[in-house]
Amino acid sequence: MKLRTTVTAILCLGLLSFVTQTDPASAQGKKAASADPQMPKITVLNPMGTPPPVQLKPQAPRLTTLDGKTIYFVNTGYIGTDRLMDVMADWFKANYPKTNVVIKRSAGGMDRVDKALWAEIGEKGDAAIVGLGH
Amino acid sequence: MPNFRIQYFRGPVWAKTKEQLKKQIVEGNNPVNGKPVMKEMVEILTKPLTEEEKKTGEYKRDKGPLTFTGTPDELQKLFLEKRFTDFMPVILPTEEKVAEMLKGTSHRPDELLGRMNPGSEAGDTWTYTVKDAAVNAVMAGAKPEYFPIILALGSSGSPALNVSDNGFMAGAVVNGRIRDEIGLNYEIGAVGPYAHANTAIGRAWNLLSINGGNCGKVGTTYMGTVGNAHNALALIIAENERDSPFKPYAVRRGFKEGQNIITLFTGWGILSAANWRVNVWGPDMNYPQIIKDIYAQQSPGLFGTTVVLSPPIADFVKDAGFDTVEKLTEWVTQSANPPMAAKPKPNAGPAPQAKAKAKPKRGGFGMGSNFHVIVTGASNNNYWMVGGMMPGQSIEIDKWR
Repeated sequence: MKLRTTVTAILCLGLLSFVTQTDPASAQGKKAASADPQMPKITVLNPMGTPPPVQLKPQAPRLTTLDGKTIYFVNTGYIGTDRLMDVMADWFKANYPKTNVVIKRSAGGMDRVDKALWAEIGEKGDAAIVGLGH
Repeated sequence: MPNFRIQYFRGPVWAKTKEQLKKQIVEGNNPVNGKPVMKEMVEILTKPLTEEEKKTGEYKRDKGPLTFTGTPDELQKLFLEKRFTDFMPVILPTEEKVAEMLKGTSHRPDELLGRMNPGSEAGDTWTYTVKDAAVNAVMAGAKPEYFPIILALGSSGSPALNVSDNGFMAGAVVNGRIRDEIGLNYEIGAVGPYAHANTAIGRAWNLLSINGGNCGKVGTTYMGTVGNAHNALALIIAENERDSPFKPYAVRRGFKEGQNIITLFTGWGILSAANWRVNVWGPDMNYPQIIKDIYAQQSPGLFGTTVVLSPPIADFVKDAGFDTVEKLTEWVTQSANPPMAAKPKPNAGPAPQAKAKAKPKRGGFGMGSNFHVIVTGASNNNYWMVGGMMPGQSIEIDKWR
């Protein structure tokens, strides 16, 4: 059984991205921009909580070509994602006719891993495009 | 996830035809960077990883500087720019004011109070301490005697500002002696900003969610398509136990009479029952039937039905033969033939009322009964509120004294 490298692109269908509000350039006791220098200065506490550390996971090397490769389109089950996967797959078929396109429905939905499907993609796929969101 | 390759395109996806999806998404551009979606998709799959993207290990972050120094005007501007606020001026949290707030609890300032993410496990889960909560309570204008309730809310980890593009609200019902001890309003304007305690506690929960849980940041941790008017101030409802003919809400959840309990709710919110088409004004009012009709109209829905009855409406219900909320709930959720129920369509299966008779409806998230009754407000008229709100945790406030 030949193991292939799988490249995953996550589609965020108009949903979310997450950024922190931490300002790394700030220093303790940083002075705020001046507005009225005559007013007495005071020191106040930062009201923020603590963001968690993030474990960076290794990413798969990218493909050098899509020709002859198998790309999985994973429908996570939100309404309409099946239609979107279809039209995206149609685009790949039209523009990359040498690419093998496979559309699959994930049993894990939007928030759980479908281990069987992930194993199948790892074995048979070269890349996966996973549709998330609304 | 830093460095993770994500492709964005303009939503929503659902309810669109394939032709619409093709035109708007496949032939459209990434709304973040303006690049053609499909061309960029191919780049995501084929462009070699950068050195940054190849990094592994732990990506550490912190809250930034522990303090800020400036004039009050400068600091108000800074807090606004950093999105530490609800866009309104705050009480600036000096060490002295925070120390005063901490006198409202016996818990250590450095004690881990809670973990919060913007909802549905979407986004990072941040942590915050008792002191972090005190800082936000000061900013909200709260008094130390409110602090145990604010800590109870914070300990829940439940955000007052939920990420959902549906536009959810958050609220809480307070029962017990603490309502009178700290001046929570349960009379005229009970669900509005007409008392300092209700207002400051609701605002403190909002600010703790914004700062402690990194919630409510538009475009990242807040995505409400239209939003929710209740988000301006988390809804803090003190039950009018004195004038209610029913047992307090917390007692009906298994707590003792007089015990200080806060029960969290989330949902769409509430608005006047007069909004519903089944409601009428007349010399003879059948309030239980009106409640039942509204329930039939909107349940099960995502959050079921919560009615917020003023004492006179609660009295009408009791006089109609429902001397307990349990009896009312059983009748509302299980009896057949609500008169306003829609006529069944051909081949549409059993009518809604038939299903209700067979099995009580459940909330959209499957969390118990989807009909809830709260009694609050004054007795100056026969008005009441209805909405979709689902209860969550009930927390003992005194544990946070």
